[in-house]
Formats: sequence, C-alpha cells, structure tokens
Amino acid sequence: MTHEVAEVLISGIALGSVYAIMSVGMTLVYGVSRVFNFAYGSFYIWGAYLAYLLFGAFSGMSYPAVFAIVIPVMFLFGLGVERVICAPLRRKADWQMLTVMSTLALAIFLDNASLVAFGPHKKSLPPLLEGSMNLGGFAVSTHEIATLVIAVSTMVIIGLFLGRTRLGKTMRAVAQDGIGARIVGIRINRVFGYAFALSTALAAIAGILLAPKYFMYPLGGWTILIKAWIVVAFGGLGSVKGTIYSAFILGIAEALVGWHFGLQWPMVFWFAIMLATLAIRPRGLFGTGE
Amino acid sequence: MKMRLINKMRSVRMDREGITLLVMLAVLLLLPSYFHGNQYIMHILIMCLVYSVVAVGWDFMLGYAGIFTFGQFGFFAVGAYASGMLTLYAGMPVPLGILIGGLITAGVGVLIGLPCLRLKGAYIALVTFAFHLILVPLINSDLGRAMGTGGTMGLLSIPTLAVGSYSFSVADKIPWYYTLIGVAFLSFFIIYRITHSSIGLAFVSLRDSEPLAKSAGVDDFKHKLMVFAISAFLTGVIGAFYAHYVGIVSTRILGLDIFLLVMVMMVIGGMGKFPGAAIGAFIITFLNEALRPLEEYRLLILGAIVVAVIIFVPEGLMGALFPTGRVGPGERFGHFIRRTFTRKPSKNSGKELL
Repeated sequence: MTHEVAEVLISGIALGSVYAIMSVGMTLVYGVSRVFNFAYGSFYIWGAYLAYLLFGAFSGMSYPAVFAIVIPVMFLFGLGVERVICAPLRRKADWQMLTVMSTLALAIFLDNASLVAFGPHKKSLPPLLEGSMNLGGFAVSTHEIATLVIAVSTMVIIGLFLGRTRLGKTMRAVAQDGIGARIVGIRINRVFGYAFALSTALAAIAGILLAPKYFMYPLGGWTILIKAWIVVAFGGLGSVKGTIYSAFILGIAEALVGWHFGLQWPMVFWFAIMLATLAIRPRGLFGTGE
Repeated sequence: MKMRLINKMRSVRMDREGITLLVMLAVLLLLPSYFHGNQYIMHILIMCLVYSVVAVGWDFMLGYAGIFTFGQFGFFAVGAYASGMLTLYAGMPVPLGILIGGLITAGVGVLIGLPCLRLKGAYIALVTFAFHLILVPLINSDLGRAMGTGGTMGLLSIPTLAVGSYSFSVADKIPWYYTLIGVAFLSFFIIYRITHSSIGLAFVSLRDSEPLAKSAGVDDFKHKLMVFAISAFLTGVIGAFYAHYVGIVSTRILGLDIFLLVMVMMVIGGMGKFPGAAIGAFIITFLNEALRPLEEYRLLILGAIVVAVIIFVPEGLMGALFPTGRVGPGERFGHFIRRTFTRKPSKNSGKELL
C-alpha cells in the first residue's frame, strides 16, 4: 500500500514537473505579448512526433541527440510562426481575438498535417531510461526519475535565463510594461518573437517527456492544452512561481485521483478545479489580478 | 390600422444589412426552381441554412457583444439532444419539442454565461471551450446513456417534423428547405432588430470600450446574460431542427472539423459584420463540399485558408465589400463620450503656463 502510494506520488511529481514546463511556456507568452496561443497543444504533439521521426530515421538515436535537434528546430519553428501568424495581426484593432482565431486555425492545420503524416493510431517513444532503481526501499522506474530531472533542470535554466541574462530581463520588462519597455529602446516585436519561440521549444520538450508513457496521436495536444491552461489559471495568470506550484499540486492530485478512483476521473477533477478556481478566486492562487 | 402598419414598416430603417438580407432571401427563395430535382444540392442548401444560423448566433456573441465564446456547438448539441429526447421518449409533438429544446438551451446558455460574466477574454474562451469538450465524454458516458443520449451510438430514429396531420419526409427536401428559410430568416430578423435597437448599441459600446460604457451607465451584466440566452436559444432551436431533419444525432456534431468550419464562415463573412456570417456559411459549406474529394487534406487546406484570410482580409467579405467609411454606432458613441468628457486644450494654454 505505502509502496503503491509512493509510486503514485513520484509519478505525480514527474507529471507535475512536465505540466510546469508546459504552463510556464504558456504564461510566458501570455505575460509578454498577451497572445493566447491555441496551437500550443499542437506544438507539444509536434515535438513528440519530431522525436518519433528522428528515432525512426536514424538507428541508434539517443535522447540527448534528439533533444539537441528538436529544441532548436522547434525554437525556429516558433519564431517563424510568430512572425507569420501573430506579428502582422498586432496592428489590427481587435488583434487579440484575431490571434486566437488564427492560432486555433493553425492548430487544426497542424493536427491534420500530423494525421496525414502519421495516421490516427497512437504512437509511443522509447522510455528515457530502461529499468528501475531502488530509492529508499521503493522501486521507482528510472524513466520517471529522468523525466523529473530533465523537467526540473529545464525550469532551473528558464529561471536563470529570466533572472540573469539580458534577453530574459528584457522579457520581464516587456511583461511588466510594454510601452515603458518600448520607450527605453527595447524592440518589443523581437522580444515577442523570442518568448513565443521559447514557449514552443518548452512545449516540444514536454511532448517528448510525456510521449513514452502517455502516447501521442494527432489530437493529443488538446487535453494537455486545456490542462496547462487550468494550471495557469489555478496558479495565477502571469505568475511564474504560482504556475510552478500549481503544476506540482495538480500533477500529484491527478495521479492520486487516477489511482484511487479510476482513469476516467482525472479529467472531471480538472474541470472541477477550473470551475472552483474561477468561482472562488478568479485570479488564481498567486495571481495579482488584472 | 393601415396607417399604423405603414408607419411601423417605415420605422424599420433599410440599411446595408437589411438590404443584404432581403437580397439573400430573394435568391434563396428562387433557388429551388433550378435545383428542386437535385436532392444533393437541396441537402447542402438546407445545411447552409442550418450553419448560417449557428454562425450568425456565434457572431452575435463574438463579433457584436465581444464575448469570447467557443461554446456555440455545445448549444447546438444541447438543442438537438433535448428536442430529440423529448420527442422520442416523452412523445412530445415535434414543434413543441423544438421550442422547449430551444428554451432548455437558453437555460444552459444562462448557466454557462453566469460564471463567464465574472471573467475576461481568454478565460471565457476556456470555460466555453471546456463546456464544448466535456459534452462529448459526458454524452458517451454511462451517466449520459442513463439519461437517454444513446451513448456512442447516438440518438437514433428521431421523429421527423410534423405539423398537424402533415408530416415532413426525408425524401422531399422542398418543404424542409422553405421551413428552414423561415426559421433562419426569423433568427436573422431577431438579431437584426436587437442589434439595431438601444440594446444593440449597448452591446457595441460594451465591446468597444467596456469601462467607458459602464461609466456611462450601461448595465453589462444584464445585457451580456441576455446575449447568452438569445444566442443559445436560436442555436438550440436550429440544432433541434437539424436533429429532426437528419433523424440521427451523435457526438459527431461536436467534432472539431465542424467547429472550425463555422468559425471559418464567420471569419470569411466578416466578424461583427452582420449578416456576413450567413453569407460565409453558404460560401464555406459549398467550398467544403467541393474539397471533399481531397479527403484527409480537406481540413489541412481549410485551416490554411483561415490563417491566410485572417492575416490578409481580417474584416472578411462584408468588410471588404463595404469598407467602414461610415462610422459605426460604437465608434459614434465613443466619439460622443470623448467629445463630451475631454477638455479641448485652448490655444493660449501653453503661453499662460510659460
């Protein structure tokens, strides 16, 4: 019993760490450019499919090489998408609605492209690491540990990037006050592009991390998009700290609910959390309100 | 009596929207004289009418009231299932079932609207889209089956529309066509009247500048809840008509492809440019049929078309045909408020300061 609970907890923590990457990417784009990206779930699934392609094309492909290829490719892809689909709309009066529409249409384009390319059947990636290890008396699959390690180190890198580097500080400046940032000479269009590209790369990492356990199929990005959205809403829109806390809370809770009540219930739980958050505290746990 | 009627008719000012609607109506009334023998074309025309109401109802919320809702097909499904179940299990006459189905949908619309009105922008999109997405597992679940939704099989053998002793048949599309023209244009007329009344002005002012409209005393809560109820009612009614026309309802009507299609209709026609969405419905439904041989590439191409249209012609067909030379009611309201409440700097003010 305790063994089982410990296993569930660890898989919940690993899940939460991946949700954290996904949600931080989402909150970053929204915080910096106020763009609501509906194609985010499709980026997630495309990251996984890209890894799948690489594993299929080259025998003896290893995960470090996959990450080394997928991350820059998806970064550039995100940069291109932002330039083509979001940037031209920003001049229009109701650009926020237009970007939601155009990213939604892009999502359906991407999903159908993967449907044409890979078919409707579920695909899977090999586990990050085979086997299991003994952790204080509990057998834990090394895949979960590797997921957790990669996800946490990704977050640490993002944290250092936002806190220490020039571009990261610029992003925070734009998020706090776009007009002020422009006045002091920041080229905000460029910053919007980088934030979008960064979030695309984060979604791709999350996709690769979850694909071995949760499979991938063309419409698989929608559930994770909604989940990331709820994580962001629960944690407080625009608050990176709140997003990370809420990702872990909800990841662990999801694993516990799924284990205790059955696999159909986590989605009900997510919607209950969403409605409760919006009804009781619409700005989320750590949100400062808008 | 006669004078009053004429006066009343005069008070309906004929503007661009009204004329476009009348031209559409005239063309649609004449079309069966060319196509009445072709069942396939008649079916597509009927589907055009169904989608045009959904698209106009959605545009009413999104384009006019500025409520970022993605739940329109949820309303459509609620209306279809409610009326189907009422007539199938309770033996209710079909017209009554359609009406009550619409009212149930309006109730659901208010229920969805209540939490949404405390929220803004993207959050509303989340709640309404979640409503859409959760309907599929709900209808297919054991709970849904216990309620009588038929689960994954769907609701089968829904009775067809019957008025008095006359009953509509699937084989003869003409009566369906004219009935749906009536329903669709009644819906358009309701929306047209609302958008041209003081309520419509309130919506537009709320969309264009919510704080300003609120400070001028526009009750946003009441008006937005009304938009939810009206839009849900009209969409539910047309969903119910669809259910009785096709005879089968399953969760396929909640598919993302139809969702995208109707969004395309709205965007192509012109968001917030009534009745652009209705015209878009006709263009896209026929385009979709023309693209059908492409099979799985169809949605790919449609998705790309939408992205291109949004980027290059964000105002849509109505916006391209009638560029906004005329200042819209919302802008006029904004100008009025701005003129009234901002002080003009006088020419000498600079000198006095120095």
